Amino acid sequence: MEENYPLAKWLSGEMTEAELKEFQAHPDFAIYEKIKKYSAALEAPAFDDTKVLTGILNTPKKAIKTISLTQHWLFRVAAVLVIGLGVFFTFKNFSAATEYAENGNQKNFFLPDNSEVVLNSGSEIQYKKWNWDNNRTLELEGEAYFKVAKGKKFEVNTALGKVTVLGTQFNVKQRDNRFDVTCYEGRVKVNYNQTQMIITKGMSVAFEDGKMMTLPQITAQNPEWMAHELAFYQEDLKAIVGEIERHFNVTLELKNNANTQLFTGVIPAKDINVSLEILATTYHLKLTKVDKNKYILESLDAL
Amino acid sequence: MSTEEISGICKEAVFSTFFKSHAKALRNYLFYKFGNEDQAEDITQDAFIKLWQNCADVPLEKAKSYVYTIANNASLNVIAHQKVVLNYAKNSGKSELTNENPEFILEEDQFKLKLNKAIQNLNETQRVAFLMHRIDGKKYAEIAAELEISVKAVEKRIHLALVELRKEFDHFK
Repeated sequence: MEENYPLAKWLSGEMTEAELKEFQAHPDFAIYEKIKKYSAALEAPAFDDTKVLTGILNTPKKAIKTISLTQHWLFRVAAVLVIGLGVFFTFKNFSAATEYAENGNQKNFFLPDNSEVVLNSGSEIQYKKWNWDNNRTLELEGEAYFKVAKGKKFEVNTALGKVTVLGTQFNVKQRDNRFDVTCYEGRVKVNYNQTQMIITKGMSVAFEDGKMMTLPQITAQNPEWMAHELAFYQEDLKAIVGEIERHFNVTLELKNNANTQLFTGVIPAKDINVSLEILATTYHLKLTKVDKNKYILESLDAL
Repeated sequence: MSTEEISGICKEAVFSTFFKSHAKALRNYLFYKFGNEDQAEDITQDAFIKLWQNCADVPLEKAKSYVYTIANNASLNVIAHQKVVLNYAKNSGKSELTNENPEFILEEDQFKLKLNKAIQNLNETQRVAFLMHRIDGKKYAEIAAELEISVKAVEKRIHLALVELRKEFDHFK
């Protein structure tokens, strides 16, 4: 659609005879005429071009090149390109790749062999892209669900322990002192301190401060957090609060809590108000909202 | 080894001519943008210095767009914009002095003052295009090339500028 700007056409004298006659009959015409006349009488400030020119011609000049023009700059461009590409690819392949999911988010990505990873909130993975197929090793901080493509040994290292598989689906969680591994498919070898064990589909194991717990059988196909549900097995209030903070990207302040009871169950986490209400009821806490990013949970039990 | 022949704009005479033809307009354009004379002059000077230093790599026909591109990029870094202060040329309206009565002259002076102020209040893109046409006498095609926009875009800015300016004079009828 062609827009028309008649006033611009008039100002540059491009109106047709008919258009001009019509415009001249307009009540505003006199004002536009005046604007046209006087705006042309305006001046910009003076400019001493001789002085500026002298200044420019006196700036030190590069020596006149004696190599033929074409050859010279082409070579330079080519050399820079080649070096640049080389550095870029080397760097890209040898350096560690990092994937990170911030609080309030989850992140889904693929490893070079098409293994799929889903990172839970507040978690990070580092791995080397170069030679991945022959050396499938990565560092995990936090929690992630893995769907590993069949291939050579696949290793997940965390600060607390290590998980090794051949091709399978499993979830690894490392938070503070607690290390949980759940197997959804295939076989998974778990290393924690001096302990090594193999778990299979439906099995889940947790380690905390040197102690091991075998969790009940899982029938779910995927970890609950991927469906916005927070599942806990014998975890204390602090762990639950941390999980909620990361999932919703909020700050929760826990006051006067002496409750060391462990919680087992699933808290829905689509709506933060629901999650916090359940928590408050379960642990007998008073919930106060400071703003949309911060809440206070205060124990109602007598100190 | 043969000595290289100095190409086009590297010849001092060619450069000087080019400079005298285009520097003031470039400086004006920058001045219409952010109202600071010194900055406008500095950026103009820098652009032409770069042209002078890279003269061997810039064919004469590309020189103008070269300096305007450099100037446009440099002006992205200018944060503080001031009011664009313009003055009426000394002989404007003089020819009417002998014929008209004092009241008329006063009215015209008031109009001119208001117009100057109204132009200051235009938004930047409209003001720049408008002044490049009115003061520097550039054609729309030229303005389009220098601002790196289409001719239609220039027409739109000029049209809207006129509409805005007329609004200032609602009671002058």
